[in-house]
Amino acid sequence: MTLTSMILKMSEGLGRTCAIFFLTLLFSLPLGLVVAALRRSRFAAVRMLTRMYISLLRGTPLMLQLLVVAYGPFYLFGMSVSRNKLVPTIIAFALNYAAYFAEIYRSGIESIPQGQYEAASVLGYSRGQTFFRIVLPQVVKRILPSITNEVITLVKDTSLAFTLAYMEMFSIGKQIANSQSSFMPFIIAGVFYYVMNLVVAFVMSRFESAMAYYR
Amino acid sequence: MKRIMILTLALALLLTCAATAEGYTFRMGIDAEYPPYSYMGDDGSYTGYDVEMCQKVCEILGWNMEIVPINWDTKLIQLDANEIDCIWSGLTIDVLDPEAYTISMAYSDNSQMILTKKGSGIETLDDVVGKDVGVQLGTSADILLSDGGDAADLGASFGDLIRYENYNVCFTELMGGAIDAVAIDIGVAAGKIAEYGDEYYMLEEPFAAEKYGICFRKADTEICAQVEQAFMQLVEDGTYVALAEKYGLDTSALCLTPAD
Repeated sequence: MTLTSMILKMSEGLGRTCAIFFLTLLFSLPLGLVVAALRRSRFAAVRMLTRMYISLLRGTPLMLQLLVVAYGPFYLFGMSVSRNKLVPTIIAFALNYAAYFAEIYRSGIESIPQGQYEAASVLGYSRGQTFFRIVLPQVVKRILPSITNEVITLVKDTSLAFTLAYMEMFSIGKQIANSQSSFMPFIIAGVFYYVMNLVVAFVMSRFESAMAYYR
Repeated sequence: MKRIMILTLALALLLTCAATAEGYTFRMGIDAEYPPYSYMGDDGSYTGYDVEMCQKVCEILGWNMEIVPINWDTKLIQLDANEIDCIWSGLTIDVLDPEAYTISMAYSDNSQMILTKKGSGIETLDDVVGKDVGVQLGTSADILLSDGGDAADLGASFGDLIRYENYNVCFTELMGGAIDAVAIDIGVAAGKIAEYGDEYYMLEEPFAAEKYGICFRKADTEICAQVEQAFMQLVEDGTYVALAEKYGLDTSALCLTPAD
C-alpha cells in the first residue's frame, strides 16, 4: 500500500471523527450548563444527585462508559443492540464531556463577585436577566482557556470510538497498520490530530481576542 | 583490529549462548482474551492450551517464562520492538511473511468457521451472503476475508465485515442482534459451543483451512529450533494431546505425531 493510498483511506474516516467531535460539542456544551445550574440548585437532593453524576462520569474511563451505553441495555434488559454505533458513541461522549464542562462553567460562575448580583437587583434586573445579561458574558470570557483544553482533549478522545467498532480515522489507521505491518498509519494519524488541534487552538484564540473587550 | 574483531565475535557468541542457556527468561506474547488457547483463568493467572504448552517447553529447556499480554493488532510491532520473544497464542502462521520472521512448525490445524445465533436460519456459507459479519481486528479471519486475503471473495459477499477490538464485543453484538454472524478460529468457536451450545450454532463447512504455529524474530532461529525440539518431546510423551483434551480442543486438529 502506498503512502498516498494510506492517507486517502484514513481520510475516509475523518468525516466520522469530525461527526463525533462536532456532535459531542453540540450536545455537551448546553448540557454542561444545565448540569452546572443543577449543581447550584436550591434543593439539597438535586445538588447531591448532580454531584454524584459528575463524580461518576469524571471518575470512570470514557472507554468503560462507551461500553456501558452500547451494551448496558442489552445485558440489563435484554434489549437488542443496534448496528448504528454513532448514537451510543455520542451519548457517552456528551454525558462525559458535560460533566467536565459543568465544572468549568461553575468555576466561571463562582468567580463573579456577589456585589454584581446585588447591584443588578438594585437596578431592577430579574434573576434570569442578571444571569444571561450580566453574569454569563463574563463567565464565557473567563472560562475560554479551560474550554479550549477540553476541546483539544476531545479531538484526541475521538479515537476511543474504536471500542464500539465505529470506524473513525484512527480505527482505519489501526486496520492498515495491522494488515501492512507498518508504523506509518500511526504517524499519519498523529499528523491528522495535530493539524486538527492547530485549527482548534487558532479558532479558540481568535474567539478569545474577540471576547477581550474592556481591556 | 583483529583483536577487536575476535572480541566482538566472542561477545556475540557469549550473548547467543547466554540467550538460550538455562535461566534465560523467555517472554511469551499472548492475546489474553483468546480462550481456550490463552486467557485469564478463574484464579486470575494466565492459562490456556498454548500457555501450558509453553510452560512445559520452558521446564524442559530450563528457561524462566514470562507471560506478556499483547495488543493483537500491533503484535508484530511488539515482537520487532523486543517487548516479547515470541507470539504464541493461537497464531495463524499462513498469513505471516516467512522472509521477515522465523516461524515454527505448525502444531495444529485451524479451520476458519462461521458462528451464528441458534435458529438464525444461516446454515451454509451461501446463507451468509449479504449478512453482517464480525471479526476481531488483525485475526486470521480478518486477514483472510479482507481485500487480498484467500477468502476475500466471501468477505466481499457479506453485507458488511465489521472489525472489533476483541471477540467478546463480537459475541455481544451477535447475541444482541447487531450482526448476523462471527468469523472465527474453530478452536474458539468450539469452545463457545461447548459452553453455550443452546445459544450458538457453528456452520459445518469451514471457509478456510489454516495452521497454528509460533512466531519469532528473524534472528532467533536458534531459539525457535530449541522450542521446536522441546515441543516434539511433549508430542512424544503425550502431553500435547492430553492438554488439548484438558482444554476441550478437537484432538483431530492436532497435526503433529511422534513420528514427525
